[in-house]
Amino acid sequence: MAGQIPLISLVLLCVLTALLTPRFLSPLNLTNILVQSSIMAVIAMGMTFVIVGGGFDLSVGSTAALAGCIASMVMLQAGIAAGVVAGIVAGGAVGLLNGLVIAFLDVNPFITTLGTMVLVRGVVFLITGGAPVSGEFGLPNAFVAFGSERFLGIHLLVWVPALLLAILSFVMYATPYGRRVYATGGGREAAYLSGIPVRRVIASTYVWCGALAGVAGVMLAARLQSGQPTAGEFYELTAIAAVVLGGASLHGGEGTLYKSVIGVFIMIVLGNALNLLNVDSYWQRVAVGIVIVAAAAAERLRSRN
Amino acid sequence: MSSAISTEQISKHFGQNRALDQIDFDVAFGEVHALVGENGAGKSTLIRVLSGVHQPDSGRILVDGKEHRFSGPHDAIAAGIVTIPQELRLVPALSIAENIALGDLPTRSFGPLKLLDRRRLREQANAVLAQLDFLPDVDCRVSRLSFAERQLVAIGRALHHECRIFILDEPTAALEQHEIERLFSVLMRMRFQGTAIIYISHELDEVVEIADRCTVLRDGRVVPTARRGSFAVADLISAMTGRVQDPGDSAPREPGPILLHTQRGDDQPVSVRAGEMIGLAGLLGSGTEAIMRSLFGASRSDPVIAVAGEPRSLRGPAEAIAAGIGFTPGERALGLVLNQSMRDNILLASLDRVRRYFLVDRTAGDRIVAELMDLLDIRPRRPELPARALSGGNQQKVILAKWLARRVRVLLLEEPTQGIDVGAKAQIHALIRDFVARGGGALIASTDLAELARLCDAVLAVRQGAITARLEGARGLDEATLRTAIGA
Repeated sequence: MAGQIPLISLVLLCVLTALLTPRFLSPLNLTNILVQSSIMAVIAMGMTFVIVGGGFDLSVGSTAALAGCIASMVMLQAGIAAGVVAGIVAGGAVGLLNGLVIAFLDVNPFITTLGTMVLVRGVVFLITGGAPVSGEFGLPNAFVAFGSERFLGIHLLVWVPALLLAILSFVMYATPYGRRVYATGGGREAAYLSGIPVRRVIASTYVWCGALAGVAGVMLAARLQSGQPTAGEFYELTAIAAVVLGGASLHGGEGTLYKSVIGVFIMIVLGNALNLLNVDSYWQRVAVGIVIVAAAAAERLRSRN
Repeated sequence: MSSAISTEQISKHFGQNRALDQIDFDVAFGEVHALVGENGAGKSTLIRVLSGVHQPDSGRILVDGKEHRFSGPHDAIAAGIVTIPQELRLVPALSIAENIALGDLPTRSFGPLKLLDRRRLREQANAVLAQLDFLPDVDCRVSRLSFAERQLVAIGRALHHECRIFILDEPTAALEQHEIERLFSVLMRMRFQGTAIIYISHELDEVVEIADRCTVLRDGRVVPTARRGSFAVADLISAMTGRVQDPGDSAPREPGPILLHTQRGDDQPVSVRAGEMIGLAGLLGSGTEAIMRSLFGASRSDPVIAVAGEPRSLRGPAEAIAAGIGFTPGERALGLVLNQSMRDNILLASLDRVRRYFLVDRTAGDRIVAELMDLLDIRPRRPELPARALSGGNQQKVILAKWLARRVRVLLLEEPTQGIDVGAKAQIHALIRDFVARGGGALIASTDLAELARLCDAVLAVRQGAITARLEGARGLDEATLRTAIGA
């Protein structure tokens, strides 16, 4: 029962909002929530890898922007497939840098990723000159269509996290690798003394996180029909909040992918509800902040018992 | 003499672990009452209850004849009880004087402001430390002091707070002989002034020297021994360890092939044959821990170890495990991932062995876990429970199960039964014997010499990080003989 608190909170939030405003359940609004959640869900899944492994990643927002811009630039020269791959690889490369510094040089993850967050954002502005990347005639039509078309009545953007959730859940729960991530985050020394290559495991979680931020960046570029150098600001905060709302422990070793996705829905639905209820945007920030602090405090109280 | 502090029927459980069982204990003003016992006997828990860190499940605490309930350490301090723990809680960046007065710094009024009164701060510190015959520059930062000096500062703080009941946990563990003498004269003076002192130590000679009374704890209970003023080291040892002497297996075995062999510098070689249990005996801080870790590849140097006759350099635990070596660290939190299930912990070192294609084979894994939980009698038999919910004995069994699942040939065991109750201790000893009887080899590091004497075929003595002697035919010797033999 205690494990289902995120889901119960989400359901209660939805019911409450639906009672307060009928517009919440309109097809257009629900579609909006799904599409908004899709990009954040991909980032939150990567963040779950890192947090379960006992780490932390502040650089995902910048990484998503980098991936979106690089994907757009490459796409204009070499086609859609090359662009998508380049974007994801760029994200993975940032993750690898984070992972190597954190796992092999034992630098604090907070400081490391705070640094790469700023560094990567700087690189994005350098390569784009600060202007959106969309070429003279815009990004290829097929790519832009990906940001708006549907399959079986559901946006293509929503299919991406759905498929990723299925695949990554297998990786985390059913492969030896996944169990090693949990063990490393839950007790690094114990995992090391059980023969687990903890440094490599920790580094790998950042690579997942970077690559998934890359995927999110590419999705964002499709949605915005351009590579935006300012895209993805504050995504890291929303993603971390969502993972904590989903019941993961910032001490590592605990966390579940689908619950992190539920956490994303809680964040997005909350923002959506406050919008529909015409709550002042300044108050919206206050409310979201309170929810995050409360969720973190609740996590501490739970782990103390 | 009136009782300064007394406990009536104090009990305390941690999960399934009974740490204290109806303890009656008291100290009078002007008395030094020693508390001794093996590791895990409940000494630390009792002190933590007396100092308000833990709340007892049942029983009463009386201070000066009045019942007190401590909701936290501050309540105990307010009642005049001060504890000097092994790791002194001083603020290294502050001066000696500031540390002594921390909590109620003297102030003077400057208009509406309250300013720190530095002069009075120094005077107070000097006055208190003079009682200890310790006259440092009180403006000196604590970070520059030696451990013994810091300890005096901590004691000075206790005096400053007018403590009447003083608890010292292993105060001499890090002290040199002359520092111990100084500490004892300080304690004697405090006793003379009417302070009640509870003194915890492993050093039984010291206990006999300084204590007016001695209480022995064993497995969370008070052992009825040690009448006032008439105890000797030998009595204490037998009271502490006086458990049922299990017969062991006296049948001589044919020693099998050498499973593990290594030699460093001029040291005695470490050599473990199949069917053999070898002890590694040393006092706290003698370096057995470093030797064990290096044999497991978990230290900076990569040792060259002959495993089953084939020399290898072990770069990390993963290679040691691949060579058939398992390691159970003395600190059980390092052997287990506490927030993961027993099942995950048991399979932790064997994940690539219970694999089907690229997934963990749940069926095979569950079968192995169920078999081992039966074999080792791990309770409760619920593999999904997190390891932290288990008692110490069951946690140790889960660690052993991890290595049995991996089918290692050599077990490196560090303090295998530290902090474990008598029943589980016997079971773990039986498991180690069984492992060895099936052709495995075990190297057991323990500060509990009685344990080594009961289990081991030969004992290696460790002093200052070096293996100085090898004693054959150790099995069945009594602890005192073994102690002399290894020169500890």
